[in-house]
Amino acid sequence: MKKDYIVVNNLTHTYGDFVALNNISFGITKGDIVAIIGPNGSGKTTLLRYIVGLNSVKAGVVSIGGKSPKDMRKHIGYVPQHFTFDRTIPVTVQEFLALESCAKVSHGGKHINKALTAVGMQKLAEQKLGTLSGGQFQRVMIARALLHEKDVLIFDEPSTGIDVGGEQTIYDLIKQINKKHGTTCIIVSHDLNIVLSYVHSVICLNQSIVCQGSPKKVITPKKLKTLFGGATCVHHS
Amino acid sequence: MFELFHYPFMIRALVAGGIVAILLGWLGCFIVTRNMSFVGDGIAHASLAGIALALLVGWATLPTAIVFAIIIAIGIYVLQHKTPISSDMAIAILFTTGLAIGVMLLHLSSGYQPELMSYLFGNILTVSTQDVLIIVCASVIILLLLRFTYHKLLFTTFDPDGAYLAGVTPWKYDIMLYIVTAIAVVLSIKIVGIVLVSALLVTPSAISKLFATSFASFTFFSVILSFVTVFVGLLLSYYLNVPSGATIILTGTSMFIVSSIFVGIRKKLV
Repeated sequence: MKKDYIVVNNLTHTYGDFVALNNISFGITKGDIVAIIGPNGSGKTTLLRYIVGLNSVKAGVVSIGGKSPKDMRKHIGYVPQHFTFDRTIPVTVQEFLALESCAKVSHGGKHINKALTAVGMQKLAEQKLGTLSGGQFQRVMIARALLHEKDVLIFDEPSTGIDVGGEQTIYDLIKQINKKHGTTCIIVSHDLNIVLSYVHSVICLNQSIVCQGSPKKVITPKKLKTLFGGATCVHHS
Repeated sequence: MFELFHYPFMIRALVAGGIVAILLGWLGCFIVTRNMSFVGDGIAHASLAGIALALLVGWATLPTAIVFAIIIAIGIYVLQHKTPISSDMAIAILFTTGLAIGVMLLHLSSGYQPELMSYLFGNILTVSTQDVLIIVCASVIILLLLRFTYHKLLFTTFDPDGAYLAGVTPWKYDIMLYIVTAIAVVLSIKIVGIVLVSALLVTPSAISKLFATSFASFTFFSVILSFVTVFVGLLLSYYLNVPSGATIILTGTSMFIVSSIFVGIRKKLV
């Protein structure tokens, strides 16, 4: 049996009296694509922020390859759900992506073009970030996560604002990177139909783990009803 | 036209004003991007306490005010980041506290303080050779610091979470920006004054933002515009025989109004 690469053990997070994550435990095998699904406010983004290292663990354990997320943070690519910035600040797409390269003290012109081409944004390299549409901006965020070969890629609703064709491209790209480099990928998404055709396993979250396993085993109408509290239609391909 | 260059006070003002303009123009881009415009204003007003203390005890005003401004800047940062207090509340608390301490200390000083008005509104006649040396040395050090930390500073300014994940420690750059802003603000007090200095930090960047197509051009235009504002303002104050600080700020404001009108017309035509 393979040893888990990402380990979350007894993780708990509270916002005042509200328990956002209640004693969460699971493991992710290296090279897997894992989807985390759950209703709004189920703690998905909070959980991701722990795995990325943006939240400090106070109760429980989170480790990646035996190290703390803080020590592994340079090896993680993260596409957050929301990225707020002043749209009037004149930063170009290229400048934005170069920030990541310069922080690593390597000049990344080639990498930037390659990453932008991968998400179909190469023509907008000189455009100001504030003038991009939501979908275009999301593609730029994905390009940034792809800029350097990371061990783990984490996507919080990667297809938000992206059109249907673009959505397919993004998931194909994630699958391709996973196959080529053995990158472990975690995806949070509400689009169950598209996610299920790409992932190896699913974690159903609603403050605590409701169920987990392979998509076919876990995603059943009964379990989805328990998780989301309503009728959900999923087409297994 | 060139007779003003025969006056040593004017040369000192132009040298000190010029380098401070470059510094504030560059810093202003980060300040504006971080929505920190009032941090500069708060630090400037609070630094009155340092100036008053120096006047009372007889210490050198610039170094004393710099030390006090740094303490205030770190205080604002700590209140903003380590307590539930919002940014504007933190600035308001420390800004008024610094002013109050300054007023108390000035009250303890015997007699009228003619220098006080110079610090409040700027007076190029009070810029000594020693001041110019301090201003030039400190500004060059800060400019070099900005040059070598430019990308990381921009990264932490624009995307602190992304910077953290890339291995950068954002709080170090945040603190650095607060400290260099405090120093830069105090360095420019003798030219433009406590009350007016924040405008020089913000106005050139605001004009630059109207035309810039990238952050690099934003920074470049901001530095140039800041330099032009100070230079033209000083020349006008000399020829019109009016206060330098107010003239510099009004020059900047005029440039901002003209630029805004120009951009508005260009938008309508395109």
